[in-house]
Amino acid sequence: MATLVPPAPEQKSKEDEKVDYFNLPCPIPYEEIHREALMSLKPELFEGMRFDFTKGLNQKFSLSHSVFMGPTEVPSQSSETIKIPTAHYEFGANYIDPKLMLFGRVLTDGRLNARVKCDLTENLIMKANAQLTNEPHMSHGMVNFDYKGRDYRTQFQLGNGALFGASYIQSVTPHLSLGGEVFWAGQHRKSGIGYAARYNTDKMVATGQVASTGMVALGYVQKVSEKVSLASDFMYNYMSREVTASFGYDYILRQCRLRGKIDSNGVVAAFLEERLNMGLNFILSAELDHKKKDYKFGFGLTVGE
Amino acid sequence: MASRVSLKVKGKSSKGSKEEEKSTAQLVKEWTTWAAKKAKVITHYGFIPLVIIIGMNSDPKPHLSQLLSPV
Repeated sequence: MATLVPPAPEQKSKEDEKVDYFNLPCPIPYEEIHREALMSLKPELFEGMRFDFTKGLNQKFSLSHSVFMGPTEVPSQSSETIKIPTAHYEFGANYIDPKLMLFGRVLTDGRLNARVKCDLTENLIMKANAQLTNEPHMSHGMVNFDYKGRDYRTQFQLGNGALFGASYIQSVTPHLSLGGEVFWAGQHRKSGIGYAARYNTDKMVATGQVASTGMVALGYVQKVSEKVSLASDFMYNYMSREVTASFGYDYILRQCRLRGKIDSNGVVAAFLEERLNMGLNFILSAELDHKKKDYKFGFGLTVGE
Repeated sequence: MASRVSLKVKGKSSKGSKEEEKSTAQLVKEWTTWAAKKAKVITHYGFIPLVIIIGMNSDPKPHLSQLLSPV
């Protein structure tokens, strides 16, 4: 290996830090490339009342009971949003082990949401997720195989309806990683290819993604301090000529976490999670869509670790 | 006449082999569809009980009353 060292690191030894191009950090997975921007700009907004109770039986095993009452949006052809009041109870069981994770949620109408993550070897991870319903042709399932190399990651995906996908991401410098993905959907006769790049330092993360489906997504997150970070996001679809830009903040304080964002579609949203006591969290969610005149408010309580 | 008969015979034999080829590919497709349907039903009904069984057998072993009680 010593004979293969290129001259570039030797020249850089004049600087304080020597970049060892053979010892780059492992990049984050391709699907999480927008992770910081998504966490800040897309909290789980909801409308209505939500109550979640998680009971741990064990270090690894826990059950969860969740009740939701509120209007749910139904997709409609007209520009008006149609909402139908729904109420459901969801039972869930989780098993979390270093090598195996099982996550299952079942609703009162029979829908099952299942996720499995299994470490087959130290570098190979298998993940599977499925949404199964009683209605025919509405169920989806997907299996991913992830291989983690020293400074790269590859992933291969198989889904129902003849869906195949593969992605690859490589660390190019200690701060920059580049990746690409390709997918083929047999049922819809679509295929696509995409590229992504991510540049991160301790204080900021900048990401860019382009796909042949016409999507261009750029994101920038700046960590202003330990407690505050600001994020902005730009999405452009060059096939359908739609543009969305959003700007948001994320305050992580001792007793609460507050996230808010404003959008170029006239949407203002905020999400507050307040820790009332050990294991008791109070949640408030608000989303005001001024363009469509659709105002959604939600409140909830989460009990359990 | 003879040529027509021989053509007919050729036609039948090629049709016969085509039918056999079609049926093996079709059989494989039918088996995979049948297997996928059964797997879907088994996962739908059996996933949550599987998670519960694996969880109840992990240590420290929780008690059955802990599973059913709301506290």
